[in-house]
Amino acid sequence: MIFLTLEHILTHISFSIVSIVITIHLITLLVDEIVKLYDSSEKAMIATFFCITGLLVTRWIYSGHFPLSNLYESLIFLSWSFSIIHIVPYFKKQKNHLSAITAPSALFTQGFTTSGLLTEVHQSAILVPALQSEWLIMHVSMMVLGYAALICGSLLSVALLVITFRKDIKIFYKNNHLGNESFSNVFGNTYFFSAKNYYKSQSIQQLDHWSYRVISIGFIFLTIGILSGAVWANEAWGSYWNWDPKEIWAFITWTVFAIYLHTRTNTKLPPANSAIVASIGFLIIWICYFGVNLLGIGLHSYGSFTLTSN
Amino acid sequence: MGTLTLNLSTRTLKPYQHHNNLLKSPLSLYDSQIHCLCRKKNLSITIHWKLKATKESAERARNRVGKKIGFSDGAPSLSEDAGNGGVPASPDRNSSGSFKLLKKLSRRVLSVLSNLPLAIGEMATIAALMALGTIIDQGEAPDFYFQKYPEDNPVLGFFTWKWIFALGFDHMFSSPLFLSLLALLAASLMACTYTTQIPLVKVARRWSFVHSAEAISKQEIAETLPRASVQDLGVILMGAGYEVFLKGPSLYAFKGLAGQFAPIGVHLAMLLIMAGGTLSAAGSFRGSVTVPQGLNFIVGDVLGPSGFLSAPTEAFGTEVHINRFSMDYYDSGEVRQFHTDLSLLDLEGNEVMRKTISVNDPLRYGGITIYQTDWSLSTLQILKDDEGPFNLAMAPLKLNGDKKLFGTFLPVGNNDSPSVKGISMLARDLQSIVLYDQEGKFAGIRRPNSKLPIDIDGTKIVIVDAIGSTGLDLKTDPGVPVVYAGFGALMLTTCISFLSHAQARANHDQYFDCEFEFQLICEFVTYRYMGCVAGYVATTKRELLEGLAPGLSPVIWALQDGTTVVVGGKTNRAKAEFPDEMNRLLDQVPEIVESYSSRQSNSSSG
Repeated sequence: MIFLTLEHILTHISFSIVSIVITIHLITLLVDEIVKLYDSSEKAMIATFFCITGLLVTRWIYSGHFPLSNLYESLIFLSWSFSIIHIVPYFKKQKNHLSAITAPSALFTQGFTTSGLLTEVHQSAILVPALQSEWLIMHVSMMVLGYAALICGSLLSVALLVITFRKDIKIFYKNNHLGNESFSNVFGNTYFFSAKNYYKSQSIQQLDHWSYRVISIGFIFLTIGILSGAVWANEAWGSYWNWDPKEIWAFITWTVFAIYLHTRTNTKLPPANSAIVASIGFLIIWICYFGVNLLGIGLHSYGSFTLTSN
Repeated sequence: MGTLTLNLSTRTLKPYQHHNNLLKSPLSLYDSQIHCLCRKKNLSITIHWKLKATKESAERARNRVGKKIGFSDGAPSLSEDAGNGGVPASPDRNSSGSFKLLKKLSRRVLSVLSNLPLAIGEMATIAALMALGTIIDQGEAPDFYFQKYPEDNPVLGFFTWKWIFALGFDHMFSSPLFLSLLALLAASLMACTYTTQIPLVKVARRWSFVHSAEAISKQEIAETLPRASVQDLGVILMGAGYEVFLKGPSLYAFKGLAGQFAPIGVHLAMLLIMAGGTLSAAGSFRGSVTVPQGLNFIVGDVLGPSGFLSAPTEAFGTEVHINRFSMDYYDSGEVRQFHTDLSLLDLEGNEVMRKTISVNDPLRYGGITIYQTDWSLSTLQILKDDEGPFNLAMAPLKLNGDKKLFGTFLPVGNNDSPSVKGISMLARDLQSIVLYDQEGKFAGIRRPNSKLPIDIDGTKIVIVDAIGSTGLDLKTDPGVPVVYAGFGALMLTTCISFLSHAQARANHDQYFDCEFEFQLICEFVTYRYMGCVAGYVATTKRELLEGLAPGLSPVIWALQDGTTVVVGGKTNRAKAEFPDEMNRLLDQVPEIVESYSSRQSNSSSG
C-alpha cells in the first residue's frame, strides 16, 4: 500500500513540475528571457527526471519485474526517456533547441499516462510466460529509448519544415519601413532582408544538425531493440521473424529512418527533403508504438487496452 | 618577406614551433577574434576590419610556410635518388570487344543499381507493401476476400479482391512482388557496396610509403622538422590514435579507417541477414504437435520441409517422450509458466538428452529446437462409485478471447436411450474442475488429487487426476547462425559509424558555439557590414561541412632525411581541425641535440 501511495505522489509531483516547466518556457517565448527563470526550468527538469526514476524503481520493487510489461509502464518509461534526452545536453553544457521539444513531449506523455484514459491498466499486471525473460529489459527499454529519441529528432525536423515553409512575418518589415521612411533606399531593405534570411538559415542549419544527431542515436537504439527482439523471438516464439504487425511496423520505422539517413548523405539537397522523410517517420512511430497496441492484434498484444475482454 | 621569415626560422631554437602559430587555420584565428570581440562588445567596424585582417594574415602565413618548405626541398642535403612515391599508374588492359561490351553493360547495370534515389525508392516501396500487409488480413480463405473487398463496392474506389489475388496480397510476405523487391534491394546494396569500395581500394593503394621529400612537401599540410627523428614522430602519432607504419626512413600513418568501412559494414551486415533469411526460408523444417503427458512422438513425423533446400538429418529419427507437463500459477490463479519434462531417445531407445523446457527456454539437440508454445487438457481420470479409474477425454470448447475452456461428459443411467443425460465437467486449467449435474445446475468444484468425493444425484465421483498435453513447436533452421552473425555485425557497424562521426561532430559543435557568439555580435552590427561578415562565415562554414562529409581519413607521411624529418598530411574530414591537430602533434616531437647535423641543416636552409 505504501508503494501505491508513493507512486501516486511521485506521479503527481512529476506531472506538476513538467507543467510548470512548460509555463516557464511559454513565458520565455512570449514575454522575455529571464535567465534565472530559464535556469530554474532546467533544474525542474532534473527534478522530474528523478521523480520518474523513483516512480519506475517503486514499481519495479513492488511488482518484482522490470516495469515495462504494459502500455502504462512503457509510457512512463517514454517520458523518462524524454527527460533523459533533455538533461544530457544540459550536463554537457550545450545550448540547443532540444529542450523546446523534449519538455512538452514529456508533459504530454506524462499527462496522457496519468489521465483517466488508461486507469484500467494502471495496476501492475502479472507477467505472462512469454515475457519472463532477461531479454525484456534489453528489448523494450531499447525500443522505447529509440522511440523517444526518434520522436524528438523528427519533431525537430517538423520544426525545420515549419520554419522553411512559413510565410515571412510582415510586422517587422512594416516597423522597419515606418521607422526609416526618410531612409527608404533599396540598399537598406535588401540588407535587412539578408539579415533576416541569415537568421532563418541559421536556425534551419541548427535544427537540421540536431535532428540528425538525435535521430542517429535513436536509430542505433531502434536497431539494437529490433535485433534483440529478434533474438528473443527465436527463444520464445520459435522464429526470429514472425511477420507480426508490431514487428513489421518497427521495421517500417527502421526503413523510414534509414531513408532519412540516406537522403541526408546527399549534401546537395536542401535539409527540407530529409526533414519531410523524418516527419513521415514521426507518424509511423506513433502507429508502431500505439496503433498496433490499440488494435491488440498479433503476438505483441500484451499491454493493450482491455476493451475486448469482459 | 620570404627571406625574413627564413632567417627567423633558422635562428630560433625551435623554428617549426614558431611557424605553428602562423600555420593555424583561418577559422581558429577568426574564432579567437570573435571570442575577444564578444567580451569587449566592440562595434561592427572593427569586427569587419579585423576579420579581413585575420584572413589576410592567415593567407600570408600559408605563403611563408610554402616558401620555406620550397627552400628546404631544393637543399643539397636531400637525397636525389629517393624513389617516386604516389599513386602507381593503373596497368593498361587489352581485352576483346565482346568482353568490353559485357563490361560496359555490367558497369551500366551497376551504376543504375547503385543509384541512391533508386535504393530509397525500393526501401519506400517495401515499407509501403509491408504496411499494406498489416492492413489486409493475411492467409485467409478466398471467400473472406470476396466478402471484404467486393467488386460492386471497391475500397477507395478501385481496390477489389481481383487486385489482391493478382498481386498476391493475401500472402504478402511470400508474394513474388515483395520477394523480387527484396532481391532488388539486395542487388542495390551489393552494387552500392561495390562502387563505394572501389574508390576506397584506390585510397588504400595510395596509403603507401612515399620516398620523396618533394612529394611529401606538396601535401595540403607540410612541415619540416630539423633535428628530429621519425621514430619519435611515429610514437607520438600512435599515441594520438593513428595507425602507424614505419619502414626505414619512411613513415605513413592514417586514422579513422573504421569510420571509412563502417557504412560498408552496415550494408554487408544487411546482406548477411538477408542471405540468412533466404537460407531459413529455403532450408528449414517446421512442425507443431500436441502430445498428452506420458506419450511419445518421432521428430521426423512432425517436421515438414519449407523449401527446396530442406534436407533431413540423422536427428530426425529421435523419439521424444513427454515425462511430465505441468503449470505454475500465481497466487491470483493466473498461469505463471508452463513446463514440459522431455526425454530424447535415439533409435536404440537410449536416452540421449533430458530437459525441462518452458516458454523462453527451448531444447536444442542436433539442429532441432523444441519450443513450449501451447497446452491443452487431454484427459480427466475419475472414479465413479469407487470404480475405475476411467479416462474421460476432454474437448476444447470455443470461447472468445484467449482464455481456454475444456469440457467432458459422464453419462449417467441408460446409455442406450436417445436423450443421454449425465454429469458435465468443465476446466479452465489443471487446477480445478467444475461439475454440473444432469439438469445443468452447478454442483461443485473439486481439485484433482484432493481425493474428496462429490455426490451428484446419487453418483459418487472422485477426480483422480487431470492430465494435460503439451503443445510443442519444432524446427530446424540452418539460417540462424548466418542471421545472428549479421545481427552482430549490424549492431557493431552502426555503432562504429556513429562513433566515428563523433569527432567530426565535435568539430561541428565548436563551429556552432562560435556561431552563437556570432549571433550576439550581429546585434551590434549594422546592415551595411552584415553581408560582408555573413560571406566570411559562409566560406568557413563550407570548409566545416566538407569536413563532416564522409571521405578520406587523415593520412600522414614522413621521411627521415639526415636529421631532418619532412612531414606531410592530408584529410577530407574535419579539415578545419586537422592542421591544429597536426601542429599539436609535431610540437611534441623531441629535438635531437647533435651539433654536427644541425650545422648542415642550418647551412642548407640559410
